[in-house]
Amino acid sequence: MKEGFFRPREYHRPNNLQEATWLLSSFGKRAKLIAGGTDLLVNKPPEVECLIDVASLDLNYIRKDGNGITIGAATTLDLIERSPMFSAGPYVVLSEAASNMATPTVRNMATIGGNICNASPAADLSLALMVLDSTVKIYGLDGSRVLPIGAFFEDVNKTALAEDELLVEIHIPMSPAGTGASFLKLRHHQTAIDLAVVNVATRLTCSDDFCEDARIALGAVAKRPIYAEKAKRLLTGKRLDGKLIQEAAEIASKEAKPIDDVRSSARYRRRMIAVLVKRALELSITRCET
Amino acid sequence: MTKRDINICVNGKWYELAVEPYETLLDILRNRLGLTGTKSGCAKGECGACTVNIDGKAILSCLTLAVQVDGKEILTIEGLPKGAELHPLQESFVKHSAVQCGYCTPGMIMNAKALLNHNSNPSEKEVRKTLSSNLCRCTGYERPVKAILDAARIMRGKDER
Ligand SMILES: Cc1cc2nc3c(=O)[nH]c(=O)nc-3n(C[C@H](O)[C@H](O)[C@H](O)COP(=O)(O)OP(=O)(O)OC[C@H]3O[C@@H](n4cnc5c(N)ncnc54)[C@H](O)[C@@H]3O)c2cc1C
Ligand code: FES
Ligand code: FES
Repeated sequence: MKEGFFRPREYHRPNNLQEATWLLSSFGKRAKLIAGGTDLLVNKPPEVECLIDVASLDLNYIRKDGNGITIGAATTLDLIERSPMFSAGPYVVLSEAASNMATPTVRNMATIGGNICNASPAADLSLALMVLDSTVKIYGLDGSRVLPIGAFFEDVNKTALAEDELLVEIHIPMSPAGTGASFLKLRHHQTAIDLAVVNVATRLTCSDDFCEDARIALGAVAKRPIYAEKAKRLLTGKRLDGKLIQEAAEIASKEAKPIDDVRSSARYRRRMIAVLVKRALELSITRCET
Repeated sequence: MTKRDINICVNGKWYELAVEPYETLLDILRNRLGLTGTKSGCAKGECGACTVNIDGKAILSCLTLAVQVDGKEILTIEGLPKGAELHPLQESFVKHSAVQCGYCTPGMIMNAKALLNHNSNPSEKEVRKTLSSNLCRCTGYERPVKAILDAARIMRGKDER
């Protein structure tokens, strides 16, 4: 077939993870995993010759135990949005991010694994997972390994996955008591299908008015989603008040490295980061108290 | 190219088809089965004109490969009427003049059908949220929302489909 067209010649439904990695390693760069297809079948990369479907791998689950919550890579967003596990505590940040993504019909198809493996710097779930200190479990020819989610994203559309590897599940550890989190997203037209101009997730652990711990994650402002480390250090150990929050928001916006593109200018993005971080922190504080 | 044999049930009838791995369900429905009620508006997930139900759930047929739905049950707008009798959702769209050009209508109705499958008494807000998946450039949303709420009421009364 001609170059420039999406014309995969093969389609496989592996029965288990091992079979999937064998397929991935034997086809190398010519193979692509497919989950909900809501990124892949929009982009239609012409180099793909072999599609490997994750649907038959039984990775559609949300489980809770004493250590935290585990989500299978092929879990669809509509399930995350509705799951009681993400309806309270700091974990709401994930359903908040999921319900702000795409349209309800896209969310019936789109998976959490697809969102993070596509590694768009503007992806919504990445930020929520980052502030929750999530880890990702990866399976490849050499067995499985676990990475902190912050180390999973390397560049635009590039993750730490090797050619033979796939994402199996995401683990969210239990947060300490007194923790609140929130997700905010700014869209150009505020319609359902718009990607973020900028998006932000924050998490705070407070006792009385003191910030014991903080996380701030920023999207659409670098080649990958980033943590605002300086802003986090400013907040940690301090008494929280309006002035400190404002200062943290301004520092976070300086940590952002946005670019001009079709969705926005770098300057606007930087200013909006400060606004969103401030609002997200304020919201997180109100959620700490419960 | 390696075609694959798939078996799919569309509107209650099973079909065995040989398909290319890159053919979408939308392609198959329209071009092979002649079911042109399902529309292609954007072919990239943004407009909802291609919405069908798979195992009772609303799905975009433009972003679903035919090979992915092997063994599944698919319902399209053509599967809604019982013989000459329109489905209550269709009746209601006509009654409320919720159709102008009609291009978005099959997708809206299939989306509403999936909503009513698991929620027979949706609030107006729930209906509006559901319809945020469907882009309409001429009728707008007032009438479709009314039509769906009215159809839901009628269906609760009948309780047969
Ligand atoms: C109209 C529309 C609106 C959208 N709006 C948003 C939005 O607001 N915010 C947002 O973040 N995204 C948005 N998206 C993008 C997309 O829906 C999400 O990124 C979605 O979560 C992708 O999941 P999927 O299962 O469809 O991925 P797929 O398209 O199936 O896969 C995406 C990528 O991940 C890889 N992959 C999938 N599963 C695995 C795995 N288990 N291991 C390794 N690699 C894997 C695939 O090979 C592919 O490269 C939108 C898409 C559309 C069509
Ligand atoms: S044609 Fe499928 S969403 Fe537009
Ligand atoms: S009736 Fe024309 S697009 Fe909706």
